[in-house]
Amino acid sequence: MTRHLLSVFAMILRSESWALARGIALSVVVLSMGATLLGLSGWFIVAAGAAGLAGTGAVFDVFRPSAAVRFLALGRTAARYGERLLTHDATLRALALLRVRLLARISAAPFEVMSRFRGAQVLGRLTADVDALDGVALRLVIPLLAGGVTLAGAWAVLAWLVDPRVASWSVLGLAAGSALALGWAMRASARPSRLAAAADQAFRVRVIDHLRGRAMLAFAGQLDSSLASVLDADARARRAGLQVARVERRAGVLVSVAVTLAAAGALLLGAELARGGVITAPKVALAVLAVLALAETVAPLRRGVAEIGAMRDAARRVNRMLQTTPDPRPMPAGPQPDIAPGLQLDTVTLAAPGARQPLFAGVNLTVAPGETVALTGPSGIGKSTLLNAVAGLTAVQGGRILIGERPVGDWTEPDLRAVLGYLPQRSALISGTIAENLRLGAPDAGDAALHAVLADVALDGVVRRMGGLDARLGEGGKGLSGGEARRLVLARVLLRRPRILLLDEPTEGLDRETAARVLQGVRRACPDAAILLSAHRKVERGWANRALPLIRL
Amino acid sequence: MGSPLSGKDASPAGLRLLDAVTPEKARLDRAGWVSVVAALLWLPQAGAVAWLLSELVHGRATISASLTGTVGFAALGILRAWLQALSDRLSVEAADGVLAVERSALIRREGRRSPMAGGPGSAAVAALASEKLAALAPYLTRYRPAWLRAAVVPLVILAVSAWCSWAVALVLLVAGPLIPVFMALVGMAARDASARQMEEIGSLNTRLLERLQALVDIRLLDGRTQVLGGFAERAEALRARTMEVLRIAFLSSAVLELFSALGVAMVAVYVGFSLLGTISFGAWATPLTMGQGIFLLLLAPEFFQPLRDVAAAWHDKAAATAVAAELAEAEAEVSVALVGAGVTAVPLPGAPSLQTVGLEVLAAPGLRLRFPDFTVPAGGSCALVGASGQGKSTLLAALAGLVPVSGGEIRVAGHRLGDAAADAWRMRIGWVPQAPHFFAASLGANLRLGEPGASAEEVRMALDVARARDVLERMPRGLLSRLGETGAGVSGGEARRLMLARAALGAADVILADEPTSNLDAETAAAVTDSLLALARGGATLVVATHDPALAARMDQQITLETTV
Repeated sequence: MTRHLLSVFAMILRSESWALARGIALSVVVLSMGATLLGLSGWFIVAAGAAGLAGTGAVFDVFRPSAAVRFLALGRTAARYGERLLTHDATLRALALLRVRLLARISAAPFEVMSRFRGAQVLGRLTADVDALDGVALRLVIPLLAGGVTLAGAWAVLAWLVDPRVASWSVLGLAAGSALALGWAMRASARPSRLAAAADQAFRVRVIDHLRGRAMLAFAGQLDSSLASVLDADARARRAGLQVARVERRAGVLVSVAVTLAAAGALLLGAELARGGVITAPKVALAVLAVLALAETVAPLRRGVAEIGAMRDAARRVNRMLQTTPDPRPMPAGPQPDIAPGLQLDTVTLAAPGARQPLFAGVNLTVAPGETVALTGPSGIGKSTLLNAVAGLTAVQGGRILIGERPVGDWTEPDLRAVLGYLPQRSALISGTIAENLRLGAPDAGDAALHAVLADVALDGVVRRMGGLDARLGEGGKGLSGGEARRLVLARVLLRRPRILLLDEPTEGLDRETAARVLQGVRRACPDAAILLSAHRKVERGWANRALPLIRL
Repeated sequence: MGSPLSGKDASPAGLRLLDAVTPEKARLDRAGWVSVVAALLWLPQAGAVAWLLSELVHGRATISASLTGTVGFAALGILRAWLQALSDRLSVEAADGVLAVERSALIRREGRRSPMAGGPGSAAVAALASEKLAALAPYLTRYRPAWLRAAVVPLVILAVSAWCSWAVALVLLVAGPLIPVFMALVGMAARDASARQMEEIGSLNTRLLERLQALVDIRLLDGRTQVLGGFAERAEALRARTMEVLRIAFLSSAVLELFSALGVAMVAVYVGFSLLGTISFGAWATPLTMGQGIFLLLLAPEFFQPLRDVAAAWHDKAAATAVAAELAEAEAEVSVALVGAGVTAVPLPGAPSLQTVGLEVLAAPGLRLRFPDFTVPAGGSCALVGASGQGKSTLLAALAGLVPVSGGEIRVAGHRLGDAAADAWRMRIGWVPQAPHFFAASLGANLRLGEPGASAEEVRMALDVARARDVLERMPRGLLSRLGETGAGVSGGEARRLMLARAALGAADVILADEPTSNLDAETAAAVTDSLLALARGGATLVVATHDPALAARMDQQITLETTV
């Protein structure tokens, strides 16, 4: 389990090692300066008092200690500012990078995996899980290393300056007490903090499901019971959160008690030694105050340890996503294809995703540039599955699919996408302007090209009424009707001027006249493309040069 | 002290924050006072240490003095730790109460927003409900108690110091008030930075969720690099915004630390010189004693500590205010709620007829759609036809009470369709949406959404009616299968037939279907039309919005929608 946390830290370390090393060094500086400052001040005052009593005040060196106090006070403040800035910036940088790497992996997942992602869950990986990891460096590793080094140094200095017995009781006692408290907290909070994170994730997913499905829920009369299930997840998350807070609080009490006992021990031992004349009273003050300042070495770990369960879980999920999702298509730099790509199916056998029984077998087909072929057959026969295979998204069970005389599997991803355009049955729009949606696949397209392609899909009038290319769409393209949205995603595909065009029921949701106009526009936009479409409607079948009926085995 | 520190803020955000706190105010105040008492316990603790050290220096210490001083120090320290924990428990529980109330209110309100209306995206709401509202907790658990301590503890320490030495009190009095002045300046910058950070979190979430849902399209359009680049930019922007907030927080605490260090150093210099005998003014009558000197030195940092705590928690206040501003803004916006509450009700009595009179619907701000008057008798069937974008889906939604009417009225089963009748009316409706939505649950649970108690036999019958039996048989896990949000895993036509089956399950006697035959081949479309009509022949009223002329032709009547804006 901890290995995932370590691998996350290793990743942060790799990308920001220099900043982190400086951060840890500064952190040691801050902690030791704090302890020195307080110890020195205590020593100074008591020594001054003793000198005053003894009447040797005039020869007491005031200036060096007070200069040191000022230096330590200013130096600690500056070092702390630098340390915080450095470590936070390094962590946030590393996490931003991690988010991008995660999205890169997710977006390269195999098609079957990708189409089953639930957006809200993946969003949780990229936001909440990555956020949970910010404590790994900031609240666990850095304080642990810096605190350990400081405590060891403090022991040595106190043993040398004051007395080994005082140093051992106070520093080792503080370290041991804190280690026990933190160790207990780590074990006790692992379960609730994991539960809290899981319930919070469930809460987000349910909120999104509740809001997106609220029409269905209203009809089922389930709006309230769905709300109850959303709030139930929230209640679980908060309950577990309270448990984590309780553990953290108890660990805090234990650490405070350890600090108090360490300081009280230093006071008692020191007082007895001073009474015995082994050490002087100012050194007692030095030890007691230094130990009180050392409490700072443990404080930041309290929260870090309480979060450890959630961090470990988040690290595991993030690692799993980084490691196991394979890149489907290695991207060797193949020779640039300059062939006029037609499309050829050679005795293709296909099964539905996840099924072993093939849907159909031995399909042969050639679509020449400029030609349009319609796939027909009843719903569920596998028209979409065949288009997916041609688009290189799924594998065939038998036979070959050739694009420009090259098997589709041999094409590199960018080359394939450059020649092949595919309008799948379900397409998503994004919130933003019409232009942003269109340019998703063609970032360099000019406004004129956008207007032209909108005219091709008979959407120019609608867009003009909405206020032009800069008209904004809501979430998932809200603001357009079903048919308008369909035409906009079609325009997005056409804008790339593909030489092979796959269309899955391109005119769904359009009335007959609009459908006919749109289909003409498709041909106008891509006059030389080899077009293969899955067609249900007469208007689509009529538009194609010929039809290929698929027949179930 | 100035208004930014006092937390009394008459802006909408400030008032909203006050509203959120009100139900838990008593508990929060108690938590604050307990933390004040805990902080004040340091005074006797410091007294014990100072006394023992002074006895040692004077050579008067006995073993019993050592034990008394040490045990007193330890006992008070343990009591202090316990009180701190008590205060923490009270404030954490209060914060939990505030979160529970706010989350529930937010989601209740957003869930009742009309599905056809605009408004924030679901990911933005989820972000607000989850991590943004959670930002209220640190404000409640850290800022508020710190603020109370800052108002009380320094005054007590000032009084105690003044009792020992007016000079020390003077030093503290001069150094102390500089802090609130500085804080007021930092406060404004911190609030702006926090607001920008919150905004960035919201927009990053929304953008990301949409791109995740469009991943397949992005792959097909070879837009991966572009999307990754855009995302990297946004992730970097979020980091920059977060650092902006942190930098202000770190800087303010550094400056406070400096003030406090300077104050403590001045006290130390004064005490040191007094004890050496170099300075003889500043204490009352007698010269400062050894014990008093150490005591004052131990108190000085604690004079500044509460103010530093406030500073450290300052960005918590700023973050909470930013969240409150967002809440206030969302609540001030006129929201288009669905009609009724969306809960189960006794089905509306009366024969299921439908009638519109002078119906107008505000489809979007400034876009008023006017619909023709029509009547669908009970058991009748009707097709809403017209070119894309004429409001067929909006009209269908209005007939179901999903959108409020802005003019005229809809009469259903002889009742006016308003809040009183909507839930009862929807109990009778089987709804087939244009875009399928599957909840994150098994297919069986999705089908049984409106009829949780439906038997396996009833589910099978509903699947038969929708011609969806074969869809199920092809799925390896049957009713236990889980589909993607929009039905990934089955074809578009199959998803639609499953939606039909869901509508057919139960005793619906009104079927409202938005494009029920889209994505279906002619043969299946005809079969689905048959089953819709079979439902209608069984006494159900049927209204479809459609482009499919074959489907429209088989309805009793057709209503053609034309632009009447």
